[in-house]
Amino acid sequence: MSGIDIDGSRLNLQQLAQVARSGRQVTLAPHALEAMRRSEAWVQSAAAGEILNTQGHPRAIYGINTGFGSLARLKIPQESLTVLQRNLIRSHAAGVGDPAPRDVSRAMVLLRANALAKGASGCRPELVERLLALLNAGCDPIVPSQGSCGSSGDLAPLAHLGLLLCHLESDPDSETGEAWFGEERLSGREALQRAGISTLPLGPKEGLALTNGAQLSTAFAALALFDAQQLIQLSEIAAAMSIEALRGVTRAFHPSVHALRPYPGAQACSANLLLLMAGSELTDTVSGKVQDAYSLRCTPQIVGSARDALTHIQAQLLVELNAATDNPVICMDVDDEIKAYSAGLFHGEHVGMVSDYLKIASSEVANLSERRLYRLLTAPLSADLPVSLAHSGPGLGLMGLQTTAAALVSENKSLGWPSSVDSIPTCEDQEDHVAMSTTAARRASEVVRNSLLVVQIELLAASRALQWRLKTEGPIALGCGTRAALNILETLPEHLTAPSDALEHLPPLIPAILDAVAERCPDLQNVGGSP
Amino acid sequence: MSTVLLDGRSLTPHDVWRVANGAAVELCRESRNRMQANHQDWVKLGSPDVLAGKEAWLLGSTPEQRVSSPQRLRAFVESHCAGVGEPLPAAWVRALMVGRANVLARACSGCRPEAVDILLHMLNHNVHPVVPRLGSVGAAGDLAPLAHVARVVFRLGGKAETEAGILLAKEAMSTAPEFSPTSKEALSFINGATLSSTLAALACVRGEKLLATSETVLAMTMEAVLAQSHCIDQFALSARGQRGGVEVAQRLTEMLQGSEMVRPDRQPDAFSIRCAPSVLGAAQDSLRHVQKIVTRELNGACDNPLVLDGRLVECGNFHGAPVGLAMDQLKTAMTQVATLSERRTFRMTHGDLSGRLPSFLVEDTGTNSGFMLAQYTAASLASECKGLAMPASVDSIPTGQHHEDHVSMAPIAARACLRILDALSEILGIEALCAAQALDFRIEGASFSADGERQNGERLSPTQAVQRAHKAIRNISPSWTTDRVLHLELQASTALIRGGGLLHEASPW
Repeated sequence: MSGIDIDGSRLNLQQLAQVARSGRQVTLAPHALEAMRRSEAWVQSAAAGEILNTQGHPRAIYGINTGFGSLARLKIPQESLTVLQRNLIRSHAAGVGDPAPRDVSRAMVLLRANALAKGASGCRPELVERLLALLNAGCDPIVPSQGSCGSSGDLAPLAHLGLLLCHLESDPDSETGEAWFGEERLSGREALQRAGISTLPLGPKEGLALTNGAQLSTAFAALALFDAQQLIQLSEIAAAMSIEALRGVTRAFHPSVHALRPYPGAQACSANLLLLMAGSELTDTVSGKVQDAYSLRCTPQIVGSARDALTHIQAQLLVELNAATDNPVICMDVDDEIKAYSAGLFHGEHVGMVSDYLKIASSEVANLSERRLYRLLTAPLSADLPVSLAHSGPGLGLMGLQTTAAALVSENKSLGWPSSVDSIPTCEDQEDHVAMSTTAARRASEVVRNSLLVVQIELLAASRALQWRLKTEGPIALGCGTRAALNILETLPEHLTAPSDALEHLPPLIPAILDAVAERCPDLQNVGGSP
Repeated sequence: MSTVLLDGRSLTPHDVWRVANGAAVELCRESRNRMQANHQDWVKLGSPDVLAGKEAWLLGSTPEQRVSSPQRLRAFVESHCAGVGEPLPAAWVRALMVGRANVLARACSGCRPEAVDILLHMLNHNVHPVVPRLGSVGAAGDLAPLAHVARVVFRLGGKAETEAGILLAKEAMSTAPEFSPTSKEALSFINGATLSSTLAALACVRGEKLLATSETVLAMTMEAVLAQSHCIDQFALSARGQRGGVEVAQRLTEMLQGSEMVRPDRQPDAFSIRCAPSVLGAAQDSLRHVQKIVTRELNGACDNPLVLDGRLVECGNFHGAPVGLAMDQLKTAMTQVATLSERRTFRMTHGDLSGRLPSFLVEDTGTNSGFMLAQYTAASLASECKGLAMPASVDSIPTGQHHEDHVSMAPIAARACLRILDALSEILGIEALCAAQALDFRIEGASFSADGERQNGERLSPTQAVQRAHKAIRNISPSWTTDRVLHLELQASTALIRGGGLLHEASPW
């Protein structure tokens, strides 16, 4: 895999996932340097007291020579500016709870680097290069996953990154945070030494530049979105398999039907279902049956809605992936003069709202999948499939797995409570509305994970059901995509009587399932353009 | 830690907590005899193959006769092993095991004492089956989690955490006595919402400790903000007559007896202080109710079918609804305690609301941000509690072939409750740190003008109870003069609180 270079304007979801999960290397694009240097020079002169107000005194500029939050009312003397940035990192490193997963921590580092590469933060390119050195070496900060309100950004989580990168090497008592390096969890000092990376004492505004944005939220949300795109693909494959196994009716998916209510998601989903089942000798074979239950027939409406939701979520997150999320931002004014603008670009609301939306969309995909699973296993609903697919011996077959799926979708409902509707005033009422985006995004990733488990359970049950049909009803052609998926799922060892064992074997097969299906059905419409 | 004696009737949440944390367990003689007699009743009934019966009921067909009992038993247990997700912590698995052992010791399940012995042997030798966290709806009980335990106990497969690391069941059980379950024993091992009830027991114990701690922390804050003492007036609270409120007011009055800071001649306070006895008291009353339900559940015949007076009785005793409702109530109560504490932290860190303390409780503000972020963290956690407090037990999804058409979701409620209690420990830790810092200024007699100017004021001494708490905090976190890494201080204060370091003397701990 070749490396990517970042400039703050063209990072996409797939690259983010590759850097976070597969160690793809990252460099700072040379053309990003100019804007960075320009804003940095301006910050240096502001810090040196050279930018004057109308009375001819050094101008107060937030976070450069003032206190933070409500303490912006206090001017900080020149000689304390270095201590100001260092104290910011120390006092803001206030995270609690379990560490964020390592891929999320890596995504957070990349996102902050990309935001700084935009050149609106007034930090040195060296700071970005040092962040990328961490990523490229696999030296990843331990970031507590709780305790951030997502406004003014994920201050505490990013300050933990700051402890790692910016501690004072000369001071043996300096708190250095913690990091993963290789498979080990080490003190920040030790991890940097092993990775051969030196710390970078913070310059003016750089502590603020490092912390002022909702990057932990975005990291959780973006990786969850990436996984949710796979969730949709898998759920359509699982739905097609279940519909076949239940001898469903495909008329509900006809393009002319969906042209009448032309939601893009529903059209894509129904087209995919038809493609996946093309050539099946199981569908449309029950004489007199005109329509199926909603969990089959309304799949395009429900999964399609989730597709449309994901389109919106992706559009919003792509903006966030490539945004300057800092305060103040240093930018060129209309009169070609550089100025610092105090604004609210750090606020996590965008990310919080779409994370809550992602929870709803993913929960519904899983809810539908759980109901199809119930039909596959439940006597009067399953078109004569053996009860609970318990045909191969004693015991209750897959009944227990349906209970598990029910527990998972119920858990999603609790997690689905929207975090972004809440706000608690902070910082002496200066930050009197906060996003709670970090909680929203972290819980969204939990919902997506639970939902993927549910769809995997459906895949397992649908494959067992199709196998039973083929075994007892003779040679029957399956759909073009469902056959391909079954070919892979058939490799699961059959003797796995404990369903949890089977579920342990299934996830590694997923890439093969997606590849095999894509090969047989090249016209499948993917979500968000991902493979 | 002294040994916990099981008799199927008197297990307390505190006992479960002690076993979870490593205490040994024994079965008492009377219960052993009762179990023996109850088992004989089952034998007299002809040792009915309850597994075949359950299969037939669920699958709607006569089970194949050619299947031998051991085969059916293996298939029954394995097909219930459907849990997913990360393993439960060993302490929770211990709670689950002792809880199920006590249900069997109730002697209504037709099981032999050996069924309890094997679980106790494992507990006493630290053999803890690996049990996935997710996948139970808490209605024909916590089937999947208990099946993962049973699979190891019966040596059918699975893994267990032992002192020698994670081992396959056979190896982990190599020194345990032989145990070959009857069909009834196999069913009784898994048929009840015991994960829910034992996690609920742990929640009761932690909730009780945290409530008592919150009173100490409240006393510290009341002194720190120079509160008015009317709000803890026992006559006022008695005039309302809510038991919890009266008790909270009594304990606060004791802790603040003779206070130089909390006096009747102060201004009335905001609700987070003035109404604290009402809110904490309401939480106390909720907790008492929940403890009653959970204690009952720990000692109930949470199983089916039951062997009673020589009859085999099919019932619905496995359903987790009592615990699910109780946990949802405790979640709400503890979330109120959390949101109340966060507001007090907000007041103490707010220069305009704290009674002439510096913004964020630190001098030289601007260069220092003091406890600014501590309040953010508390706010974030309080918000998270609200999400977790959404009731799990309002949901139900039909399972089990239309037969199990209403389920409790109790284990989801119980796990969420424990997460709220985690957050509450952090939130109270933050308030205690802020209160200790604020008290430092009161003790020095430092008072601050609106623009942060230090002035000399009256030097005040905390009461003895508050001094003790203040000292406990100062032992782990020195006074804040210049910014340090807050994360480490928060970790230390949470650990102090979880260890019971801020319990007041009146608490039963």
